[in-house]
Amino acid sequence: MEGEILAVRNLSKRFPPNIVALEAASLSVRRGEVHCLLGANGAGKSTLLKIIAGAYRQTDGALLLDGREVHPRSPAEAARLGISMIYQELDLVPQLTVEQNLFLGHAPARMGFIDRRTRRKRAQQALSRVGATFPLDARVETLSVANQQLTAIARSLTMDAKIIIMDEPSASLNETELGAVFEVIRELVRQGVAILYVSHRLGELREIGDRVTVLRSGRTIDTFEVKSTPDSVLVEAIIGKERSLVERAARPPVTGETALRVNRLSGAHGLEISGLEVRWGEVVGLAGLNGSGRTSFLKALFGAHAFQGDIVLDGKPFHPRSPAAAIRRGVGLVPESRKTEGLILHAPIYSNATLPSLRGNWLARHGLQKQKATPVLNSLSTKYGRPEQAVVQLSGGNQQKVVLSKWIINGARVLLLDEPSRGLDIGAKADLYNLVDKLADEGAAVIVASSELDEIYAACDVIWVFHEGRNIGKFNPSTTDRDTILKATILGEDHVQH
Amino acid sequence: MSSTETARMSASAPQPGLGRKLVDIAIEYNFVLIFLVVVAIAASLSDSFLTFGNVANLFQQAAVVGVVAVGMTFVILTGNIDLSVGSVVALCGMLVAVLLSAGYPPFVAVALTALVGLSCGAAMGAISALAQVPSFIVTLAGLVSFRGITYLLTDGVPVSGLPQGFAAISSTMVPILPGFALTSMALIFIVLCIVAGIVLRFTVFGEYVYATGGNPEAARLSGLPTRLIVTSVFAISGLMAALGGILLTSRLRIGQPTAAQGLELDAIAAVVLGGTSLFGGRGSVLGTFFAVMLLQVLRNIFNLLGLGSFYQMTITGLIIIAAILLNRFIDHRKGRG
Repeated sequence: MEGEILAVRNLSKRFPPNIVALEAASLSVRRGEVHCLLGANGAGKSTLLKIIAGAYRQTDGALLLDGREVHPRSPAEAARLGISMIYQELDLVPQLTVEQNLFLGHAPARMGFIDRRTRRKRAQQALSRVGATFPLDARVETLSVANQQLTAIARSLTMDAKIIIMDEPSASLNETELGAVFEVIRELVRQGVAILYVSHRLGELREIGDRVTVLRSGRTIDTFEVKSTPDSVLVEAIIGKERSLVERAARPPVTGETALRVNRLSGAHGLEISGLEVRWGEVVGLAGLNGSGRTSFLKALFGAHAFQGDIVLDGKPFHPRSPAAAIRRGVGLVPESRKTEGLILHAPIYSNATLPSLRGNWLARHGLQKQKATPVLNSLSTKYGRPEQAVVQLSGGNQQKVVLSKWIINGARVLLLDEPSRGLDIGAKADLYNLVDKLADEGAAVIVASSELDEIYAACDVIWVFHEGRNIGKFNPSTTDRDTILKATILGEDHVQH
Repeated sequence: MSSTETARMSASAPQPGLGRKLVDIAIEYNFVLIFLVVVAIAASLSDSFLTFGNVANLFQQAAVVGVVAVGMTFVILTGNIDLSVGSVVALCGMLVAVLLSAGYPPFVAVALTALVGLSCGAAMGAISALAQVPSFIVTLAGLVSFRGITYLLTDGVPVSGLPQGFAAISSTMVPILPGFALTSMALIFIVLCIVAGIVLRFTVFGEYVYATGGNPEAARLSGLPTRLIVTSVFAISGLMAALGGILLTSRLRIGQPTAAQGLELDAIAAVVLGGTSLFGGRGSVLGTFFAVMLLQVLRNIFNLLGLGSFYQMTITGLIIIAAILLNRFIDHRKGRG
């Protein structure tokens, strides 16, 4: 094919004993294009990427680079061939400088000594190609996530990558930062580099993608021209049947009493919240850029971060000094990262689900724990084999349901959800927000923080905009249009009309 | 991740057959199989190996390390490590001797010593948990200091002439089968293994230990008192080391300040050999029990073959490496690597 740089022909991957992750995946990426890869969780995207990047070997099928069949046996070998992968959790060493990271593993050297002058020169070139403004000597841990992303891209450039694979680069970026990354991507594409871009977000695809390939159940469904393909066609390809995007449904007015009232809360890093209120049966959304204080606020409410302030929960003062204290008052937190904060990945599903509610017992009765967990997991329509299965084996959406089930089983009535939909596909997201809606209908008070305004816009009764640690504006999504709220998250207080 | 991708498929996978289940069990409890193989080798090498007398002897010799290793299992399950146990064994072994020779009745001396061991462990655990210092460092300091205190107790002089009644703690013969009796210290080891196994499997505290080791942050955000749990496992380890010291002194009928040097390494080796992950969250006392006995049987084989301790040390190390590699392989096969 004209200008084809990477061809994937009928790749399959089976994991012993009997798990098929890829069935027949094909893909063709042209020089100088942004080729997007779409698919639900479990569609086989990550497996496909890992095979291309040399982290896995395929069971069957072929990989062609520039028309020649290649068999990268390790990520290093793939990099030498010109295939570079940027993982979602950037694989940079935070303690080292930008310059050191750029040439990690392939530093120019003479007789084992690093050739610093060459390295510096080439690092400078790579950074200027991505338009970076931060110094080469900055330690990576001091950079913003967006700048770390740019560092990772620059690192691919130092390896003369012909094709750069980006696995959900937007997951940890806000919209301004993402814009900057997109600029860099466009520039690289003009220079002839091909980008294989993986994302869940259709909006991004429209902004950056030339063509898009959709995977489902380990098979390639089709490749589309981005411009001429409507959303509904793509969504249908992803989930296999027509299913609506998250849309704002008519919501009955909330009539419950005040559940939680934050008169004042101040904490580390300039967190200063006042006058925020949630009623029983209400879903309050927290919108704002990354670093606007949403997570710190929820962690403080949950007793995981220290704070000063004046909070009333259910008519009584509330000042939790530990998560345990907050849990006793009926508060539950679904933390930002389900893998590092939410779950004990190798423990069984049922023991994860019942962990908070064991408190005050002496004996762990596994039968009883399963009995308690199973109906709740089923009512959340969690898909799992057996309750004894390790939770790590579940897909992201189902893992999130296990985290949520912890608090439902424990009888929490105030639910704090921090980025609950991160890494979930469209279907799982809709599912999750339906659940949130149902819980609120049953009387729970819910606070949802998300960096995706569309989601909370569709799902919440009230939206608070956070900006630089303060809650600067309260909006009713029924009467305010989305762009007004979006503007407030970016521009801050001066742009909120009280 | 591959694991999230595979979930859908594995959920619909057919139920494994009986043969497959047996293989899974054999892999899960591989340490039992290895133990049986080594026992078979030992039995074929020497007729005197599988005699009641020799078996009783094995348990008797394994008891001190075994008791300490049970405590160490709790610590390692939380993802921590306790390097101080050898010194605590020596300290408590000396302390009980000093108290006895000062005229305290055995019951009081033992109770006081146990309390001291528990406090030593709890103090180190609390420092590690509250000040967020790696337990490796805190217990390394404990290893040095407690050994120092042990020497200070009597200025380095052993204490002998302990009362006859105290020796009974370790050496009473308890008939198990006709013609087969175990010493009380061997029995204490076995009973402690069973109790520890029950605590880890059937109590909320046991669940908390696994959860804290599996993911400390998730455990804390689930409302678990993780600092208290870490302090408690070190207290348990200290208590077990104290019991080990008491049994040792009771068996030798002498308090030796130089005793139990390097015992912590034997205990750690046994725990890891028994399949408990050094990163925490995974493992069992059953594994520890078999590993302790396996190491003891190996020592016994070498003695029966007349090979000196230099061979023993070398080959024991190699066997530990082989066992760890086997466990890595199994983890990898299960997709946990």
